[in-house]
Amino acid sequence: MKPDMSVGIGKLKLRSPVLAASGTFGYGTEVPLLERRAMGGMVSKGIFLRPRKGTAPPRIVETPSGMLNAIGLQGPGADALIREYAPQWASWDFPVLVNINGESASEYGELTARLDGVPGVAGFEINISCPNVEQGGLYFGNDPRAAAAVTDAVRKRTKLPVWVKLTPMVSDIGIIARAVESAGADALCAINTFVGMSIDLQDYKPRLSFRTGGLSGPAIRPLAVHLAHQAARAVDIPVVGIGGITRAEDALEFLVAGCSAVQVGTATFVNPNAIAEVHDGIAAFLEARGFGSLDDLPRYLPRD
Amino acid sequence: MFLLDASVAGKRQVARGMFVVSMRAPEIAVSVRAGQFVNLGWSPGPLLRRPFSVYRAEGDNIEVVLKAVGAGTQQLLDMQAGDHLSCLGPLGHGFDLDVGRSAVLISGGLGVAPMALAAKEAAARGMQVTWVHGARTADELCTESRGDDVLWATDDGSRGFAGTAVAAAPDADVVLACGPNRMLAAVADRWPGAQVAVETYMGCGTGVCLGCAVPLVGGGYDRACKEGPVYRAAEIDWGALPSHLHYAIA
Repeated sequence: MKPDMSVGIGKLKLRSPVLAASGTFGYGTEVPLLERRAMGGMVSKGIFLRPRKGTAPPRIVETPSGMLNAIGLQGPGADALIREYAPQWASWDFPVLVNINGESASEYGELTARLDGVPGVAGFEINISCPNVEQGGLYFGNDPRAAAAVTDAVRKRTKLPVWVKLTPMVSDIGIIARAVESAGADALCAINTFVGMSIDLQDYKPRLSFRTGGLSGPAIRPLAVHLAHQAARAVDIPVVGIGGITRAEDALEFLVAGCSAVQVGTATFVNPNAIAEVHDGIAAFLEARGFGSLDDLPRYLPRD
Repeated sequence: MFLLDASVAGKRQVARGMFVVSMRAPEIAVSVRAGQFVNLGWSPGPLLRRPFSVYRAEGDNIEVVLKAVGAGTQQLLDMQAGDHLSCLGPLGHGFDLDVGRSAVLISGGLGVAPMALAAKEAAARGMQVTWVHGARTADELCTESRGDDVLWATDDGSRGFAGTAVAAAPDADVVLACGPNRMLAAVADRWPGAQVAVETYMGCGTGVCLGCAVPLVGGGYDRACKEGPVYRAAEIDWGALPSHLHYAIA
């Protein structure tokens, strides 16, 4: 018998535990060969209230089993998203969460208010890995008070699901996780990319024009599994695991480590069918082990 | 766009260090246009696919041209007939050849990559085709070429015109160019309306990662893999486009 692959992330019911990660699927209108049946949902490319030009090239560099990227959150802004993309999402058979960004807590709130109630917008994923311009450019995600303030600003403006995407660049992810849970997050996404750097030895300068970039891909998977596990141990809300998933076995590691769902990102660049293959592999695993649903999957989540 | 399991059909050398690899990809072979590319992956291989202009398309096979510039391309050159590649394509927008009666094709080094197909398509439209191919030295010139006229240019003067392919090229209704971005910037100075195929680092090849940003004179960036890789030369902000790419995995 085919296992039940549906999951509930707070109020949001998903037919599959596999979602497309922000920044790796555009606005969902361009990834080719998409097998929709496997899609639990999609998180849009990160959006700001206003259009963003993005960073100068080179923007990406491949590293061992991974890649660094510094795209600079290039995007068309909220109005274009509402006009061009949300109407398409409204007819899709899986939910689209919008990855939202800002330079201040109030900007996150304003963006949420613009998008709340727009048909096609099923929820929000807050990217807290943005510099807080009002606080001297410190990252929201590194400070539990700033992370909670952003979550609160978004929470107050919508009844839709609010997920918070945590940065791994912290000394204790559990502190940030608890702070955003207390501020009203419905779920956590763990984790965003690691900040990395690569130096070109021909001209003695960073390879990326932005100097640093976000490291993704299989290289970060064990780090991500650990951090997602730590986040899951710290909170009672669901955790969506992200980081270097290319195969079903990778996704299953996150699920066993305490995650309720996963996002597939960089793998989609390499294999446009990655999400479908991860989905089908999880289903085959559950079936082979005699599990009727994801709830039956054993979890390793000892309580502190 | 197709995602194919393509078997390697053969390999031949066309210049010092430069090889043509052919693979079986029937759906792409019948649909690819000059200037479009494929994104190739293989296992075990590097994480990201590697983009290559389609050099020729004959029957069920397509060809790409490459040099070993890093570990990935070396693996590709080490493949044997029958080995399997994952081939995604055709990708991007190619040359527009519906605009004149004569064409000059200017290629520098590996910039021959889209030109064999361009020469064939231009000839099929009844255009007068002149192909100007340049390299540093005679033995780095690609030995394959077609066209009504073929001109050679070498930096050291060891074959043909002593100097760049751009300097050696005559005028024509349509100018197509591919080569190092520095060479394409020189094309832009002489023929602002030329169609140039640019080279960038590339992630997905399908328009979602925004890694292959091309800076535009009009402001902002677009994607070499989607709106490109062929641009009007005057559209590109050449000073902001990296002029020399290093390939090895960092």
